Amino acid sequence: MKKECIAMLLAGGQGSRLYVLTENMAKPAVPFGGKFRIIDFPLSNCTNAGIDTVGVLTQYRPLELNSYIGSGQPWDLDRDNGGVHILPPYQSATGASWYKGTANAIYQNIGFVDMYDPEYVVVLSGDHIYKMDYADMVERHKKAGAACTISVMEVPWSEASRFGLMSVDEEDNITEFAEKPKEPKSNLASMGIYVFSWSKMREFLIADENNPDSENDFGKNIIPAMIEKGEKMLAYRFAGYWKDVGTLDALWDANMDMLATGSGLDLFEHDWPIYGRSTSAPPAFIGKNASTHHSVITRGCVVEGAAENSVLSENSTIEEGASVQYSILMPGAVVKAGAQVAYAIIGENTVVGENAVIGSVPDGAEGWGITVVGPETKVPENYELKANHMLSKNMKEVVR
Amino acid sequence: MNGLHGIIFSYEKEPGLRELVEHRMPASIPFGGRYRIIDFMLSNMQNAGVTDVGIVLHGNYQSLLDHVGNGKTWDMSRKHGGLRILPPFADNRKYRSGEEFEGKMQALAGVRSYLEQIRQDYVVVADSDLIINIDIDEVYKAHLASGADITCVCTANYKKTEEATFFLLGDDNKVVKTLCSPKKPEGYHCLEIYILSKELLLKLVDTCEAEEKVSFRSDVLNGMGDQLDIRAFVFDGMAAQIRTVKEYYDRSIDALNPRIYRALSTPERPIRAKEDDETPTYLAPESRCVNALIADGCEIAGSVENSIIFPGVRIAKGASVRNSVLFKGTVIEENASISYVIADKNVTIRRGGKLTGHESYPMVISKGSTI
Repeated sequence: MKKECIAMLLAGGQGSRLYVLTENMAKPAVPFGGKFRIIDFPLSNCTNAGIDTVGVLTQYRPLELNSYIGSGQPWDLDRDNGGVHILPPYQSATGASWYKGTANAIYQNIGFVDMYDPEYVVVLSGDHIYKMDYADMVERHKKAGAACTISVMEVPWSEASRFGLMSVDEEDNITEFAEKPKEPKSNLASMGIYVFSWSKMREFLIADENNPDSENDFGKNIIPAMIEKGEKMLAYRFAGYWKDVGTLDALWDANMDMLATGSGLDLFEHDWPIYGRSTSAPPAFIGKNASTHHSVITRGCVVEGAAENSVLSENSTIEEGASVQYSILMPGAVVKAGAQVAYAIIGENTVVGENAVIGSVPDGAEGWGITVVGPETKVPENYELKANHMLSKNMKEVVR
Repeated sequence: MNGLHGIIFSYEKEPGLRELVEHRMPASIPFGGRYRIIDFMLSNMQNAGVTDVGIVLHGNYQSLLDHVGNGKTWDMSRKHGGLRILPPFADNRKYRSGEEFEGKMQALAGVRSYLEQIRQDYVVVADSDLIINIDIDEVYKAHLASGADITCVCTANYKKTEEATFFLLGDDNKVVKTLCSPKKPEGYHCLEIYILSKELLLKLVDTCEAEEKVSFRSDVLNGMGDQLDIRAFVFDGMAAQIRTVKEYYDRSIDALNPRIYRALSTPERPIRAKEDDETPTYLAPESRCVNALIADGCEIAGSVENSIIFPGVRIAKGASVRNSVLFKGTVIEENASISYVIADKNVTIRRGGKLTGHESYPMVISKGSTI
């Protein structure tokens, strides 16, 4: 059963800043990029990096996520020894509790980690779009003899105060950590990806659990405590594409990055494939009167109208005379004849009725923003949903 | 488990398919931008609740084995039953293993012990080179209701097909005459899907073996037609037997008809293909696509019209693809243009190249060629 390295994937977050998109599912299950879900990125990174044991910590609305992960076969993680395991909170002899924080979630699963008796544990989040070789990060951690290695990336100084920032010495040892400081001393932001030596991590998790004042969070509690104790903490610099898609704007941006050649998000590289659980839909169908311009399409798409600068997911449909521009159609979304969708996210299996108008192109007006229709929504004919508005399944319309 | 067991025959040589079968059997010819032809029959069986299927192999079956694997795609990788691969004459001392069978009855005699172990009372026998989305469960129910010995699926809407079997029907869809490869087609075109009981199948296998008869259609349907109650199930959807390049091309382009596209794979009866793990397809700003089927993993910067594009195809800026079928991994370089071409896997058309076949004789470019 012994494994040198396993991964623990934090997938329990509610994703409340994705609003209607996460009313019924956990954030990692949110569709991305036509045929993926957010969680495909960390899971594929694990399998590509040779990590064959992954614990997925779930808590909020886990049904969609659980059935999506299933046996783990799409990621080659259906293994006799190891593989992917869903870890919800559970009852023990001394009682039961929800995961109180990211650190507590792992604390409650110390028994799971101990089964594999690993030297190293990689801690990942379920809400980032990126490709990273965790094996290389573990190798750095090992060579340096660190207790904890945190992956970081340089962010513009003007945005630095939105992140958890690491100050480092000339050998990239972390000397100081500041969570969203007003006056940043560094522009190296934590990406929420950690490698721990398990024996150290175990020790700090137990100490943290015994501290009644702790929020049991990696960024807020565990990392500062380890720095304070003088543990060897290493920064691992990452320079590729990475995006936290925790907000609607970021989710829209990251999808659009698939269309922007300079964005660095390249899903065509064959040496680092992203896997996902796919449907059995036929290839995309482009009709006789269709017009497609600069878009991403995938299996099951039927385009008989116009698509421009958009990401069309599995089984989405644009009927004749309808137009979709700068938008994301999530799986199964249908835009009926004559409807117009601009700068919008249309949720899974939502139907936009004939001649409805959803969102608008940026016109410089104040309060303009991406328009969002939640999943499973039936938008009536001729309905108009203004820019920066959000519509949910029960037809409740709110300003974002 | 619904009482029905599947047997699918594969064949090697179809000379009319020319370059398309240089490296593969007809069953594993790519079709419709995503599928191999055998995916249709395997999916039809899966959709009818058939869990146990035997594939009788013939000739050079490596490409077919690679494609079907352990049957997981069709949920047929099971502890009990599931997909079984039956090499020719696996257990018959009369023939040497590795030889090729000449007809269905001979092939079945070659796997007789497999037939004996079938857990179900009824068997659906079908070919692997038929493109069809059919509710086999409905055929099964009709078979049980009619009390026929053999139920044969046939269609009235056929296009000219070589080497085909035809039925003349009487009352209650009874087959009154079977015509094998007639010069002039008449009646109903047989789609080579048959349902009969396991018991009758074994009896027919033994009779044919004793009398050294090899063919199901001429020795059983035609030869024993007067002793058996043979009935037809008339299917009126899209069905295509692919025996020539021209037929392959025409049926491929037919899939661009929205009605046929929608009927090929439906949400209720999906056709499943081995997962390709490709990313979505990127249509570049300068691309233009009209009337096309496009699979995943393609990068398209040129123009595509009236064509079928398989996964991982790259069409560069200024290139034009019309009336063509491009298999997996085809590369069309800048300013090249092709029309009425079937490009097999991993073909490259160099910058500026021009290739034009004719609608009546599409040009086939062999696997891996660079032009």
